[in-house]
Amino acid sequence: METLSALAGGFAVALTPLNLTLLLLGCFAGTLIGALPGLGPVNGVAILIPLTFAFGFDATSSLILLSAVYFGCMYGGRISSILLNIPGDEPAIMTTLDGFPMAQQGRAADALAISGVASFVGATVSVIGLTLFAPLLARAAIYFGPADYFALYVLAFATIGGIAGVDPRKTLLSAALGLMIACIGIDPITGIPRFTAGNYHIYDGVDPIVALVGLFAISEILVLLEKRGKERAATIRVQSWLPDFRAIWSTRGAMTRGSLVGFVAGVLPGAGASLGAVMSYAMEKQVSGGGGTFGTGDPRGVAAPEAGNNAASGGALIPMLSLGVPGSGTTAVMLAMLVSLNVQPGPLLFAQQPELVWGLVASLYLANIALLVLNLPLIGLFTRLMMVPTWALMPIVAAVSFVGVFSISNSIFDLELMIMFGALGYVLRKLGVSLVPLVLGLLLGGDMERNLRRAMSISDGDWGILLSSWISVVLYTFTALFLALSVWLAIRDQRRAKLFPENRTSK
Amino acid sequence: MTTRLLGAVIFVIAALFVSGATSYDAPFGDVLGPAVFPIIVGIPAMILSASLVVWPGGEVAWPRPERLARQGASLAVLLGYAWLLRPLGFPLATFLLLALLGIILDGPAWKSAAIAALIAPGLWALFDKGLGLPLDVLGTWF
Repeated sequence: METLSALAGGFAVALTPLNLTLLLLGCFAGTLIGALPGLGPVNGVAILIPLTFAFGFDATSSLILLSAVYFGCMYGGRISSILLNIPGDEPAIMTTLDGFPMAQQGRAADALAISGVASFVGATVSVIGLTLFAPLLARAAIYFGPADYFALYVLAFATIGGIAGVDPRKTLLSAALGLMIACIGIDPITGIPRFTAGNYHIYDGVDPIVALVGLFAISEILVLLEKRGKERAATIRVQSWLPDFRAIWSTRGAMTRGSLVGFVAGVLPGAGASLGAVMSYAMEKQVSGGGGTFGTGDPRGVAAPEAGNNAASGGALIPMLSLGVPGSGTTAVMLAMLVSLNVQPGPLLFAQQPELVWGLVASLYLANIALLVLNLPLIGLFTRLMMVPTWALMPIVAAVSFVGVFSISNSIFDLELMIMFGALGYVLRKLGVSLVPLVLGLLLGGDMERNLRRAMSISDGDWGILLSSWISVVLYTFTALFLALSVWLAIRDQRRAKLFPENRTSK
Repeated sequence: MTTRLLGAVIFVIAALFVSGATSYDAPFGDVLGPAVFPIIVGIPAMILSASLVVWPGGEVAWPRPERLARQGASLAVLLGYAWLLRPLGFPLATFLLLALLGIILDGPAWKSAAIAALIAPGLWALFDKGLGLPLDVLGTWF
């Protein structure tokens, strides 16, 4: 009941004309950003953050705008997966498996409509879950002391890379680099400048927003330049946009199952939307068997991962809001925005700024409806906008990134720093190092250090305090188990690759 | 080879980071002081990067020389934009950025320039007039 009245208060916040306008704009922009190849939720939201600052909206309105963009991207990502066979964002990879074959068979309208409805179902399930579970988690998190938070951050860094597919050393190295960058600047407790090389521009530390825009938006230009214009893919032309509604109804089971699996994956630290989509797809393949039609254009193979990735992206908001530990790349970017707006996510957020939390939750409900309405009839418009060639689009993205970063600080040094981060991001991506742990390290490094130092001050220098509460012991146990599992999986993959070199996946 | 090389570079950076951290010392403040956390972070970075030097994982395929040249050119254009933004003013500098980046991204030259000529003033109008972010029309050189 308490939750319901809080939610009603949230709708009152979300339904103000300004917030409603921002919500609709965000949904539209998000779908477009998600659909355009080369722009995904992470770099889309990253570019928009500095601009939201510049407009001077309050924290609630900014968060509503960016969350609408985030959800919109999840809807938009499927459009380029289905029509171009290029995932618009990372979690949409699974949608290409059955979506693109469907489009090749002339069933693009069905695939788009099914994925649109599946996105709606998945996202709605996750927002309901967010409404129910986030306050509970926030209430539990009040018992966390500084040492427990330190343990939680350790767990977050160990798990952010996900379980399989990547070399765990590279993920951990990425997190360590982020934490190292977070140390740059004046130490807030003693006032000693650290690692500044006497350059007063970085006495305040590296602004996470500058790093984010560089790492994601600028490095994307370098990635695009690897291939010649003609080697990039062309869109499938579509005759009719009218879907077959029976086909949508027939995938209802796949949508429900995908949503539930995706939601659980999203809430778990480090799993995020990509794993949600993968798990939903794998489970659906197991459950419905499909007689080998999966991968050749089975509608259920479109519905399950789409429901899964949207459910996971909503689920990932739960640890971000209630613990301050993001579960995915985009929620890490949203955390950057909150921290920059002086909003500290965590258990106290629910008690101190209920209008922000519940306004956000209410606007997510509204965003889902808006996105479904936008996406079904306007799909033709989005696909036409998708035809904009990269050489015309990416320079504009670069210019907007510069304006955004320049508008925060008016400093040329920040622009140079952004370009440096762009080059760094490109090199790390070439090495197969995920950038998300780096961003997370940069964002949480300050808090992690503060909690460690606070804990050590409480214990007067006794390291035993780190293991003195059962919460931290449980968290470290999880961390150790997770690391052991991912190392084991990495070694197993390597052995398999040696035994069957022809089956090696490119990673 | 690339992985080894970059592992070595990161190792050196992390080692410098740790040795730099050991010199930070404050006679006041908290129990732990400013040096311990960077050391806690830097040492795993050293170990992990060293392990990449010894057992490099994965292969890195660098783009062809012609593509690398374009990547270099794009970075040069971006840096040039950062430096010329104030002297030239927003519309002119942005025109150069859009046109040159478009050409580097394999866009037809005259089309890139035409789009840049349209979009650059458009972005200025959008940001400066529409959204209230002050951007100079003419830079310090004029």
